[in-house]
Amino acid sequence: MINRGLISRRRFGALSGLAASSALVPAPIWSATAPDVSLQIAPCTLEASPKHRIRTVAYNGQVPGPVLRMRQGQEQTVEIRNGSSDPEIVHWHGLFLPSEIDGAMEEGTLMIDPGASVRYSFKPDPPGFRWFHTHTFAGKDLTKAQFSGLHGFLMIESRDNPGSYDQEIFLALHDWSGHFEGGDDGYMNPVYDVSTINGKMLGFAEPLRVKQGERVLMHVLNSSPTEVHWLALAGHSFHVVALDGNEVPKPQTVPMLRLAPAERVSAVVETNNPGVWVLGEVRKHIQSAGMGTVIEYAGASGKPAWTQPESLIWNYRQFAEPETTEEAGGEVTRIELVFDSKFQGHGNEELWRINGKSYPHTDEPSLREGQRYRLVMKNQSMDDHPMHLHRHTFEVRRVDAGPEMRGLRKDVLLVPAKTTAEVEFLANNPGRTLFHCHQQDHMDRGFMMVFRYA
Amino acid sequence: MLRAVLQFICPVWLLARWPFLKEKSTYHLASGVQQLENSYSHFNPARIRSCFYPRLLVLLCFLGMAKVAAAQGNYEIQVYGADTVPPKNLMVELHSNYTVTGQTKVIDGVYPTNHQEHETLELTQGINDWAELGFYVFTSEQHGHGVQWVGDHIRPRVRAPDRWHLPVGLSLSTEIGYQRAVYSPDTWTWEIRPIIDRTSGRWYFAFNPALERTLHGPDVNQGLGFSPGVKVSYDFTAKISGGFEYYADYGRLGAFDALHDQQQQIFAVTDLNLSPKWEINFGVGLGPTAATDHLIIKGILGRRFDWGKKSAAD
Repeated sequence: MINRGLISRRRFGALSGLAASSALVPAPIWSATAPDVSLQIAPCTLEASPKHRIRTVAYNGQVPGPVLRMRQGQEQTVEIRNGSSDPEIVHWHGLFLPSEIDGAMEEGTLMIDPGASVRYSFKPDPPGFRWFHTHTFAGKDLTKAQFSGLHGFLMIESRDNPGSYDQEIFLALHDWSGHFEGGDDGYMNPVYDVSTINGKMLGFAEPLRVKQGERVLMHVLNSSPTEVHWLALAGHSFHVVALDGNEVPKPQTVPMLRLAPAERVSAVVETNNPGVWVLGEVRKHIQSAGMGTVIEYAGASGKPAWTQPESLIWNYRQFAEPETTEEAGGEVTRIELVFDSKFQGHGNEELWRINGKSYPHTDEPSLREGQRYRLVMKNQSMDDHPMHLHRHTFEVRRVDAGPEMRGLRKDVLLVPAKTTAEVEFLANNPGRTLFHCHQQDHMDRGFMMVFRYA
Repeated sequence: MLRAVLQFICPVWLLARWPFLKEKSTYHLASGVQQLENSYSHFNPARIRSCFYPRLLVLLCFLGMAKVAAAQGNYEIQVYGADTVPPKNLMVELHSNYTVTGQTKVIDGVYPTNHQEHETLELTQGINDWAELGFYVFTSEQHGHGVQWVGDHIRPRVRAPDRWHLPVGLSLSTEIGYQRAVYSPDTWTWEIRPIIDRTSGRWYFAFNPALERTLHGPDVNQGLGFSPGVKVSYDFTAKISGGFEYYADYGRLGAFDALHDQQQQIFAVTDLNLSPKWEINFGVGLGPTAATDHLIIKGILGRRFDWGKKSAAD
């Protein structure tokens, strides 16, 4: 089980492939060449701790899946074999891929039947920390889809990667053994018995070993099906350099990270405080459910130390540039999107709606290639929603009724309850484009829509 | 067995025959049928307690169990839900029940229930995520008697923790307490109440097959009595639920009373789910058997207080 993604640059070279075009490869050609990347979807047992063995489905028999490294623009051939009992699909989250292979059936990507395989190739872009994961329906089965172990790291190396760090660590936050429970809001919501970092509960993984004076680049992914997570490293701070794999205009040093489902944060930790420390969820009940791991300095020993923060601190704005007058302007088409829900009984989840409609009955706004669009997302519901746009990167322009901002590029944005957020994107990748809340239970209850190009 | 089945299906029949039964009960009372009169004199607070925050709604139907109400204390009329009050939380509830049409005579020194106004203060403290402790103060107000303290009960309760992932809510309540003899000849009573509930879409179901025992009083040798309660409700909207609650006292286990000596009450109720901190329930109940108060209006107003000092990290 991979807990640390310390794949070397040389290893990256080996993974980078030959490849053809961004298209499905006819089956007869398969046997002639080996794929650059091979993913085997199959059941496995995750041992989060000796007392917590979880039957799930994973890529290549490990949770999280393998760390895939690809070079920006260099073609890769990917082969996926579905050894599970359900139809599957792999979404390449954050890449600008054609709809046919992006990995969402709502866009037209074909599902992979049980026992079947598919092979295709693409030129990965844009560079940065991406990930890949299943994109199926779970419904009331809280072991399927994103509730399973079907997620992995994907690093697209830039053509000119500066690489200013000594060690690179990949961390995936995930929640397991979910069940529906009535919450204070009066609705049924998933709650979890087990939370892990890289598939292990706190105290049951090998410590992440560092040396004093290092710059450790941490790539943190929240692969949780539904939960926002807060992460702190006792005795240290994070210097955030990228969000969702995109460099931020204003890197900031922060005491903790917040990651909504599907969000990623890349941050440098300077190892300047020798000892044995806990890197864990800030909220006590989630850390006690297992979400944590140990950072151990070379030569240090003893019980891992944890310093409990008393508040939760995070905002997107600190990483963005303020809007200036001269930057304003340009033709932008506004698309107003209102999020709300329809009551379905206290024993049900809500039915989620965009502009009063639930998928598959949601509108399909038409995009014109080359046009810039502003999505005005009015969240009228009582829940926060991590909104994800496929196949594009958007620029965050406004959050929580604050002033305009620039330069913060993401593919997932958490829109808090009862607030409005605005993002802009350039329609430069024709094809059906899915837009949805990344909470699995919300997706399953209609919180999706598709943009189509005219 | 046949008798039990009949007793479970007869509430419908009883309701259909309501005018007749009302006349009949009047006749029995007037002619001094001692068994019936005794049935009125018991203190037997049938109760159904929905979740501590009003959440589900009640729809009726369980016409399925019938029992002649021999005595309906009507101090706390509530079907219990399986949830318990969270730790470091105190639930304060006021139960207000008015007997519009009830017993009009003093029987065995017990005040008549007709036109009695009952106010019951219920305090429930959450112990942990699977246990709570409740305490009751029962009072009664009636013309000619003024405001009177009736008695006190204490009620520990445990439930199956969420981590058991049961398909239904499961809880076990036990209650012991004292009540003055002018309100109940059985002055010390004990009750054990299993609680099963389930929410399914817009529907909510709760079943309380309670067993009661008299510790001091005329019925001390009567063994365990069976007093089921049922609630069925439906979510009309996110904030308004409505349904039915059914309360009964069938008499001693293994030797149920004759139907007309059992207690049967059916309430049409509504729950208002205005806030997780508030509980609001209102209902009108009919007692179709001779041994039951015939018309009662009930209300529950509850407020949850959170004592815990929580930081965002909690």
